[in-house]
Order: sequence, then C-alpha cells, then structure tokens
Amino acid sequence: MPTILRELTGIEAASTRYMGLHVATKILIPLFLSISILFTKDPLAAISLIVISALTCKLAGIPLSAMKKYVVVIGSMTSFIALSFVLFAHLPGRVFYEATLLRIEAEKGVFEWKILVTDTALSYAATFIARIFAMVLTAILLLGTVTDRDFVWGLRSVGLPFGACVAASLFFRGIQLFVSDFMTIREAMSARGVDFERTSLARRFLLYANALIPLLSLMITRSYEMSLALEARGIAPSTRAKAVYHRFAFRRRDLGITLTYLAVMMAFILWWLLW
Amino acid sequence: MVKAIEAREVRWKYLGREEPALRGLSLSVEKGEFVAIMGPSGAGKTTFVLTLNGTIPQRLPGDFSGSVKVLGMDTREHDVTELARKVAIVFEDPEMQFVMTTVEDEIVLGLEPLGLSREEMEERIKWSLDLVGLSKDFLDRHPYQLSGGEKQRVAIATALARHPEVLVLDEPTSDLDPQGKEEVVSAIRRVRDELDITVILVEHESEIVAEFADRVIVLREGKVFLEGEPREVFAKAKELKEIGVYPPETAEISARLELSSIALSAEELAEALKGKVSINQVRREADDGASRRLVARCVSIEYVYPGGIKALRGVNLEVREGEFIALVGPNGSGKTTLAKVMAGLLTPTKGDVLIAGRSVKEYGRAELARLVGYVHQNPDHQLFCQKVYDEVAFGLRLLGLPEDEVKRRVEEVLKLVNLSGLEDEHPFFLSKGEKRRLALASVYALNPRLLIVDEPTTGQDRGFCDRIMALLKALTRDGKAVIVITHSIPIAAKYADRIVVLKSGKVIADGSPRDILASRAVEEGRLIIPQTLKVSRLLGLNGRYAPLTPDEFVRAVSLTC
Repeated sequence: MPTILRELTGIEAASTRYMGLHVATKILIPLFLSISILFTKDPLAAISLIVISALTCKLAGIPLSAMKKYVVVIGSMTSFIALSFVLFAHLPGRVFYEATLLRIEAEKGVFEWKILVTDTALSYAATFIARIFAMVLTAILLLGTVTDRDFVWGLRSVGLPFGACVAASLFFRGIQLFVSDFMTIREAMSARGVDFERTSLARRFLLYANALIPLLSLMITRSYEMSLALEARGIAPSTRAKAVYHRFAFRRRDLGITLTYLAVMMAFILWWLLW
Repeated sequence: MVKAIEAREVRWKYLGREEPALRGLSLSVEKGEFVAIMGPSGAGKTTFVLTLNGTIPQRLPGDFSGSVKVLGMDTREHDVTELARKVAIVFEDPEMQFVMTTVEDEIVLGLEPLGLSREEMEERIKWSLDLVGLSKDFLDRHPYQLSGGEKQRVAIATALARHPEVLVLDEPTSDLDPQGKEEVVSAIRRVRDELDITVILVEHESEIVAEFADRVIVLREGKVFLEGEPREVFAKAKELKEIGVYPPETAEISARLELSSIALSAEELAEALKGKVSINQVRREADDGASRRLVARCVSIEYVYPGGIKALRGVNLEVREGEFIALVGPNGSGKTTLAKVMAGLLTPTKGDVLIAGRSVKEYGRAELARLVGYVHQNPDHQLFCQKVYDEVAFGLRLLGLPEDEVKRRVEEVLKLVNLSGLEDEHPFFLSKGEKRRLALASVYALNPRLLIVDEPTTGQDRGFCDRIMALLKALTRDGKAVIVITHSIPIAAKYADRIVVLKSGKVIADGSPRDILASRAVEEGRLIIPQTLKVSRLLGLNGRYAPLTPDEFVRAVSLTC
C-alpha cells in the first residue's frame, strides 16, 4: 500500500520496523515533534529538533533525498526570513554590520531605513530557518509512513464511528478524483487551442474559473453515483458496523516509543520555559 | 409462491424533469431466473434497477406510483439498507463503487454492518473472490490500480460476499475492453452455474444476453416493449433495430434469411446453413489510400510517463485525407497516449509527429487545434462554457475570427450535429447524447484536418453508436481524416477504412478491416471478431473475402435449397 508521500512524489520508505508500528503511534510521533517546534526559541533547540526529526526519518526508512524536492522552497523562504530580520526588524544586540539605505529629515524628526546585522537578528533568523527545516522533516515523516488506509483504520481503531471512517475514505478518494478531473479539463482546454504557458495571468484565472463548471458538474454526478453505490451495499450515514474486521494491537513497543516522543516534547517545553 | 420481483404499473418522474422515466412498467421475475433487460438509452433501465432496492422512491426526489415487491417486500415499506441485504446491485462504472484503498477493505466494508464473525468474513471474502476468478493475491491491491475487468469483478465479489438473493448487474461490461469483457462474462457464467440466485442483467450487448438469459425484457420509453425467451425476442430483429436495440448478428441474419429457427450463436447459424447455401466472395474495394494527401505522420514515437511506464514503443503511423481509422487494442495498449501525442497534448519522449509536413513542436497551441482536433471520452470534461453557442464559439474566438464569421460557423456546425435550436441552453442540462455531440461540435468547429475521437461509443446503445459513427463517416467524405478509438470490432468493421491494432505500445497490425480480421492480430490483440465473420469462417469462406456485417452476409449468400 503506497504511503501518501509515495503517491504525491514517488518517494518510497524502506521496509523498517518503524513501519510495523501501530498507526496511532505513527501519527502521534510527528504530532509530538510538530508541537515541539512551537517551543523552540533558540538555534540550539531548533537544531536539536532537526537532528531528532532527521534521525526518526532515518529510522523510518525515509530517504532524506526527499528533502531535495523542497530545497527551492526552503531556500527562498530562508533568504526571505534572513532579509526580513536584517532589513526590517532592527533587533538590538552586538552589531556586525550597519548601513543606511534611506534617510529623510523632516520637521517632525528623522526617518531612517537601514541594514542592521546584529547577533540577535542572526540568532532569530537561524531559529526560524531551523524550525522550517524541522517542520518539513516532520511532514515528510508523517506522509512517508502513513497511508490513507492507515488514517481510516487508525480512526476506526480509536473508536471513531463507521460512518465517519467511510467519510474520511471518501474524502481521500474525492481529492484524487478532483485533481484528475482538473487535469483532464485543463487538457481539454488545450485541445481547443488554449496555451496556458502563453496566457496572461488574468486570462488564466478566467479559464480556471470556467473549469469550475465541469468540475462542479462532475462532482455532482460522481457524488450521486457513489452515494447510490454505497446505498446499494447497505451503507447509509446512520449505518453502524456490528463487527470489526481489522484489529490493530497497540503493543508495549508502541507505548514505549510514544512515551519517549512525549518525553521529547515535554523536554522542549521545559527548555522553552526555563531558558 | 413468492416471486423474486413483482412490479405493477410503476410510474416515476424525477424531480424537475418534464417527462416520466417509467410509465406504467409491469413485470415479474421468478426466483432463480436469469433475466436480461435491454433497451435504448433513456428507456428507463437504470431507473427500474433503482426501484429494486428502494432507492426510488425512498432516496431520490420525484413522483412515484404503482408498486415494486422484491421477495415479497414492498420497496416503499422497507428501508433501503434492509432491502440491500437481499438485493445487491453492481453498477456500470466500477470506479464509482469503490471507497476503500484495498480490495480486502472494499469487501469488508459491506460485511461489517452485517455483524459477522471475523472468520465468517474471511471465508466470504475468499469465496467471493474465488467465484469471480480472482486469487487472494488481490486482497492487498489498490482497486484503482486494477484493470477494467478486474475492477468490475471486484465489484461483483463485493456484492456476492453479502450473499444476496437477487443480484442486479447494470451494464457490467460496457466500459470494458474485449479482455475485460471476457473476464466479467466468465464471472457471470460461474455465478449462473454455481449459485441459486435470481440475476437481473441490464446489457446492451445482445450476444451476452443470448448466452445467459432465460428471458429477455426490452424496455422502451419507460415500459415493457417486448418480453420473452431470447430466441423469441431476437426474432423481431426489425422492430428491435428500429428502437436502437441490435439483436445478435446471427439472429438478424436468421430473420432476414427467413430461417425456420433463430440462431443465437455463430455455431448454430453455421449448422443451420451448412449445405444449404452458397456464399459469394465479397468484392474488395480498390484502395486509393496512397494517392491521398498525407495529414499526419508519426515517426518512431516513444512515450514514457513520469512514473516510468513506457506507453509507446516506436510507433510509426501515417494518416491520409479522407481516411476513417479505427484504433483498437486492449486497455493500456497506448491508444489514448498515441492520440494525445498526435494532438500535441503530450510531447513524445523520442520520435516526432509531423502534421501537414511540419513537426508538431513547431506549432502554437491554437494553430495546432485548427489542424488536429481531439475529443475526450467523457464530454463532461470538455464542456466549460455557459451556453451551447459559446461552447462551439470558444475555439473560434481564440483564433480571433470576426464575430459574424464565428456565428456562421457555429450555426453550420450545430446544424451538422443536430443541435440547432439549443444555442442558449446550458451544456450542463443537455442529455448524455447531446453533450457528446456538442463536445464533438466544439472541436469540429475549428475545421481540423484530422479529428481524433476517444471512445465515442462506450456505454451507448447501438442506435446511438450508429448515428455518431455515420456522422464521423460523413466528415471523411469532405476530406477530413478521422481516427476513432474503440473497443467495438463490429462497429470498426462496419465504418472504418483501416484498423490499427496497438498492443503494449506498439502497432502490431495496420490494414483494412477485412485484412486485419483475417490476420493473427485478432489473437495477438485479443480482439473479438464479429459473429458474421465467425459464421463465414465456419462455412469455409476465406477470411479476406468473407462478409463482415449482416448486410454483406445477406447480400453475399444465396440459398441453394
């Protein structure tokens, strides 16, 4: 069963013991790491979190080459953050470099816009950048180890009603159908002479707005057909499952690992509170 | 004794529709019977199916009168979920029936509400998959990654696992390639032979109906038009064809030759005619193809999808003016990919497509759309304007034509596809057939020299197929080249000048229908040959000179006694 990461990017995790963990464990670990990100306020804490997330990815068998896909995005965000702290924040601290870009003297005072590189600005920028890296790693960890089936059966195993689980499965199915329909409609527009690459942004927006008509029509038709098919199988929103086929045991190993990552999260919270 | 199904004077009008879908339909089905329901599109077949589990009138809004009893249960008084325990329905499009992400989960989904033990569920999963000819290796497979035939067999297995007393199959083979059809037909055969359940099969293909059904009910405009044993019903070939229902070719030939008994299979007809007829060889038309101007040329085309799947492997193909080409082959053979490469919608990984002598890469999008038109399989993907008029005018306006020229062209094309008078209608509210014609018109308006139409006949009744193919054939007389992707060999044999057979991304055969159907490409491409040709062969006539259609057969044959 392909993980969500594999469906989206084609990157597949190796078969490791991590993949055999209970689905709740595989969802809770990235959740604890994500919460930890909120409690990192200095570069050291953020870098520690990167190391922990990267090691967890490694344990899970996810190739870190998956990060390559996000290098451009992370690179541009990093530059933007660094520039923001240097050009606009004017954070006090030990000054490494200072230059005035604009100076206006008026009756009510002086307006100055300057580049100010201080140790605080660099520390803040480094923390933010490291947090982004940690976030990307955590997202890769979740998507690389969990399938949409895991989500559905995971929800079932923690007691969510049958109807809600069917709805969750339909949600994932709906996304796939929506994307595939959109691509086909775009292709049909091209077949009628639309050149998306040479079309202005405004015109492209109008064309995409037009695409909403067939998308809507298809969504209605598909929802109708799917609901008829589900009803024909005796499944209605009020249907209750009187038996459960898949039973996933939450073993000691799952408990131990979950508690470990909970402890990691608590440690980051303490770090944030005490330092 | 309680009947399996008893419908009395059923009338149903969907909310917002002017005409009722069912108009006093009465029929009954005995327990254990295998009944086929046929009829042209819009005859009320699927609507009737939806009354069998109470979806109509319980879930859909509209006006209902009359009564439907299933195993003695009135469908107005018992809830749909209760009726669904007794009646299982398998719909036309298997993809729309799948919710879960593995075959196992898909079957389990219908079993968990029944409160069975895990062992019982496991047992039923194994039994139902085995019945439709799928092994347990399929349990972990994603339903969307299966072939068409496998998907439909999984849908049948999910229905059977619930142990229904009535199984309804609503056009289970219409979206499938010949191989998929054969797989599903085998599954139906096993259901009929091994289970003692009532089966209702809604089907356009009369050959399948003739093989399985104890009784055939033909619907027309919401009521029963004809009813009886297959032989009895198919004897009325003329009446059936008038309403768009085509009997098996052998039955049509039997009726036209006024044989004492209606033959339902090629073997039966050949047996009946053996020693009593002489068949003249069909004269082969002179082929002037080479003298016509070249419209498109594919040179060693390869195409690899981003996931690494090699869809085309060195395809060479020439298309000339006025040619009508049928592109056939199993699902996944590369037909649609080739069509998209020719239309410039996909860029070949290797090789080139030359349109009017120039590489497809040298054209701008609008310029190429004027030369090569591509009509998608599902018209719902292709109609995105607010009015029928704007839909046809869309491409013309992109070309920057003056509005009076656009108007002239739109009127001309709408008249050609018989949609005049609907200019201000919203495409969303057109019927399925009208949408398909509008999709064709919107591409044809650009006056392309090559028109590629992707599976225009899938899921349509034979009457509609004939109308759309006749329309495309008429375009070739004006010098247009037409490529039609289809699974229907009888239709290809009737209309196409050339059949191109693709398999695993390669052209394995290219020639006239007569030559192709007499070649090894039939076995290699897993094509299902027309019944008429089978009869001719059984009577000893060489494939290359044998009649392909009932018309040709009746003209070529003379009774000797």
